[in-house]
Amino acid sequence: MESLLTWLETQLAENSIFTLQTLSHYGAGFTTTVQLVFLSLVIGLVAAVPLAIGRGSRHVWIKWPIFAYTYVFRGTPLLIQLYLIYYGVVFVDGIQESWLWFILEDPFVPALIAFTLNTAAYTTEIFRGAIKSTSKGEIEAARAYGMSPGLTMRRIILPSAFRRALPAYGNEVIFMLHASAIASVVTIMDLTGAARFVYARYYAPFEAFLFVAAIYLCLTFAILYFFRHLEKKLLAHLQTQNG
Amino acid sequence: MAATPIPLEVRHIKKRFGDTEVLKGLSLQAQKGDVITLIGASGSGKSTFLRCMNLLEQPDEGDLFVHGEEIRFKQTRRGREPADWKQVVQMRAKLSMVFQSFNLWAHMTLLENIIEAPIHVLGKPKKEAIEHARALLERVGLTARADAYPAQMSGGQQQRGAIARALAMDPEVMLFDEPTSALDPELVGDVLKVMHGLAEEGRTMVVVTHEMSFARDVSSQVIYLHEGMVEEAGPPEELIGNPQSPRLQQFLAPKY
Amino acid sequence: MLDLHGYGPRLLEGAGITVQLALLSLLLAIVLGLVTAVAKMSRSWIAHRTATLYTTVIRGVPDLVLMMLLFFGGQIGVNMFTDWLYEQFDIDIFININEFVAGVVTIGLIFGAYMGETFRGAFMAVDHGQIEAGKAYGMSDSLVFRRIRFPQMMRHALPGLSNNWMVLLKTTALVSVIGLSDMVRVAAEASKATREPFLFMMVVAVIYLLIASVSEWIFARLQKRYSIGYGEAD
Repeated sequence: MESLLTWLETQLAENSIFTLQTLSHYGAGFTTTVQLVFLSLVIGLVAAVPLAIGRGSRHVWIKWPIFAYTYVFRGTPLLIQLYLIYYGVVFVDGIQESWLWFILEDPFVPALIAFTLNTAAYTTEIFRGAIKSTSKGEIEAARAYGMSPGLTMRRIILPSAFRRALPAYGNEVIFMLHASAIASVVTIMDLTGAARFVYARYYAPFEAFLFVAAIYLCLTFAILYFFRHLEKKLLAHLQTQNG
Repeated sequence: MAATPIPLEVRHIKKRFGDTEVLKGLSLQAQKGDVITLIGASGSGKSTFLRCMNLLEQPDEGDLFVHGEEIRFKQTRRGREPADWKQVVQMRAKLSMVFQSFNLWAHMTLLENIIEAPIHVLGKPKKEAIEHARALLERVGLTARADAYPAQMSGGQQQRGAIARALAMDPEVMLFDEPTSALDPELVGDVLKVMHGLAEEGRTMVVVTHEMSFARDVSSQVIYLHEGMVEEAGPPEELIGNPQSPRLQQFLAPKY
Repeated sequence: MLDLHGYGPRLLEGAGITVQLALLSLLLAIVLGLVTAVAKMSRSWIAHRTATLYTTVIRGVPDLVLMMLLFFGGQIGVNMFTDWLYEQFDIDIFININEFVAGVVTIGLIFGAYMGETFRGAFMAVDHGQIEAGKAYGMSDSLVFRRIRFPQMMRHALPGLSNNWMVLLKTTALVSVIGLSDMVRVAAEASKATREPFLFMMVVAVIYLLIASVSEWIFARLQKRYSIGYGEAD
């Protein structure tokens, strides 16, 4: 055991790749990835609730545009959406001279917009499925007690739909974490960006990418654990029924 | 006189699931042309006993002879297992089983169901298998349904089809596992009629059933099982006509 | 007809590469998925553990990171292996990991893990009585697998397979990052050169949606075919 530790120590001392400097690159990349994923997920989630309700609306003018939006954003690669927004912004005439450029110059903002639009589309469909599968009896019961449609949605349908959507939403969160790796394509220094930097600098693909893969793996497990915990808490009422 | 091998014989079969012993040393001998009926309340072990005969369940103890050939077993970490699975496969081809829930293969038409095992297990030429299958379909009254899929047929048709599938193997012994229990009452008669015909032409059969009329009219021997043991056995006229044990008397008493 | 500032033909070529890449990856993924599913259901401890490790790791790491690892690291790894072969056995071969191969292998590896789960679930969904009937008629394990479990499994696997395919199709866009000239890369180059990103990205988006709807149609027909004998498809 002790010899193993000393061996590890010498290995670490001799290694020229994982220096304080590269580790700080990874650290900064970690922060960027978490920020990007967290922000897009939160905004996407907030947007998805009204979109999901609207998706089930009887009015064609509400229903169809939302359907078209989710269809296109779920049917095409995120990379294209990112390119479209990133290049689309850069090439708008005169934008580089306007005050907006101050915000948009940083690729973080176009990436955030693309990711948010993407996750909102997926989350909308997840919620819609959950809303649709609410039992008719529960809705009828609410009506029978004199609840208005709005109140029924707020008090009865949404709370149970959110719970049923939880497993699928957990998958979406992991999907977004993994998808965020393409931010590095538009020069964002996220986790994958840091790995690409280290690779390019030291020509050490295994060290650079295996290390970052391990970090993503840990993050994935953390998310899985969190959602499993949440499901246990929120879906307890379903579990006892099935024995 | 040269002794013809006994089609099926089992001796001292024991089987336990976890802590409960469901078969406590059962034996049975089916001579050629015998129709042996196993009766008993649910949980008496009659279906498990039948499934031990073609080793869909592995008995923990006991010997098994098919057409005079002993099935060899060995002890493994998981328990007792057949020593030679090839032998089991060959043995099963001689014992066709008819299931309670028919178990016709859902992705094949009735005709395909019937020719499947003869072609792929017995190695029969396809043409011959189809000819045989058509004859059998006519016999069970399903000529018109040859190209139907199981899901398109009634339960009674499926079970008659399943019997045709069993017959296509030219089996040494036919095993019936509650063949009419999953059927609507009005469909039971057709299936029993087919089985009646089989008994009359001298097929060797072991039948687990709740149909007392079949046990009484068709079988050569009736075995009444209770909690994994033989409570009473004998020819039907004795066993059903004049039951000795109080349990069997109660079992046979008309229920209202 | 569709000139697109002269990028039309190249874009079409890129679309061809995308489709080839996707189909080959799908093939590899199906093979790996079947092996994984069988390994996960096997009684062998090692097979079970290996399959679980594979699916866990693959599904925990971003596609792009795996792709870069394989593309950038793969050549070094392969070179080390061929060097070793040369030194040990005097065997002199050269294997070139190009973008296309790296793409197929990575996407195949990734989706093999997902397919494994799909197939495993589908195998479990096959009614046990169907298998027992096969055994009772003297079928060997391999015959039961070929004639009963596999065809019946496919019906249950198709919806998952179709889902995986749709995701796989979109994942092929990532190969543009490691330098393969699929339609996304062509469109990105064209966007920069002509300063018309909207036009090119929309064209590519439409092509993706087109491929997706054609596949949907094919899968619907397959589903019909494999649902034969089950009444209404569920």
